[in-house]
Amino acid sequence: MSGRMKRSAGRLVAVGVIACGTVFALHGYGWIPFWVFAAVVVLAFPPTVLALFLWWMADEGKEDIPFIGY
Amino acid sequence: MIAELVLATLFGLLLLGIHRKVIARIQRRPGPPIWQEILHAAKFSFKTTWVPATASGALFTGIVLVAIGIWTAAFFVVMSGGSLLVIFGIYMLHKIVEHAFGLSSGSPYGKFGGVRSVISAASEIPLFVSVAAIALFTGSLTLSDIIAWQQVHGPLLITAFPAAVAMYLVLLSKMPFGPFSIVEAKELVSGYKTEHFGVWRAGLEVCNGLKTTVLLATFLFVFVGQIPLLWMVICMIIITVSLSFACALTPMLSPFDSVTIQSLVTGVMLVYAGVVFLGAMP
Repeated sequence: MSGRMKRSAGRLVAVGVIACGTVFALHGYGWIPFWVFAAVVVLAFPPTVLALFLWWMADEGKEDIPFIGY
Repeated sequence: MIAELVLATLFGLLLLGIHRKVIARIQRRPGPPIWQEILHAAKFSFKTTWVPATASGALFTGIVLVAIGIWTAAFFVVMSGGSLLVIFGIYMLHKIVEHAFGLSSGSPYGKFGGVRSVISAASEIPLFVSVAAIALFTGSLTLSDIIAWQQVHGPLLITAFPAAVAMYLVLLSKMPFGPFSIVEAKELVSGYKTEHFGVWRAGLEVCNGLKTTVLLATFLFVFVGQIPLLWMVICMIIITVSLSFACALTPMLSPFDSVTIQSLVTGVMLVYAGVVFLGAMP
């Protein structure tokens, strides 16, 4: 994976973790309702997980053509 | 609740590992260790990854986000005692997700898997009748109301046993290597997920772990009610082992037979719901 892509993925992980952590704290103090907390986590959790995987994955390979029949 | 979300994902993967182990032992194979699915997810996340040349890039990658997102939403609905209809709406959405997984790749195996996911939507019909029967008994489709109803009247597992059996069949249709797992049959390599490898497959594993926990937790809340966490974990493992027995001892059905059996179950459930409805009439 190119260095620039890796940095972007790392930034996305950081943003996702901060977003989830912030709404968790705000909900814990009762400053935001549960549905806002849930909505932010539902939106932030998937890209955070994928970005984390993209950040630590071994390498980015060249695209190929899968087997499409004889 | 974020820690619970991560733990639910890992626990779901562990349950899928137990599922594989039990099937292997029934078939007199050593089988993988029970944490194999967790290792799988970790392994895929480290692997070299790309998007196939024949794939629709946006759909190929975006659908993984949707897959994790919808089950994260379902997790919050279950945890907050929300509507059963929302959970089953998300369950229906998962069919569309499988379809998009298969069709986005450009691989014929994936496409066949995606098409079969539409056929296997027949497994959802018993679910609707099951939900209707629950509504007739409890007068509500909110999980918190259903749990409260059971605290007064006892578990729905006893009161509405046929509905529990129908829901159990729905769980069975979602388990890998089961009689209704036509979307990922071996003749299609891995079906709809054939071309999703590396990071994309790791994301799909996260979705599968979360989905398993959410569906089993929903089953327990709806048919057993509120029980202590430890008992909940034990019950989920017991249900998984029972599903593994069913998967190990039943051959995978052809798509036609799969739909026929699920349609027959729907017919039986319709009769049951009709009887319950007539009984509920003043």
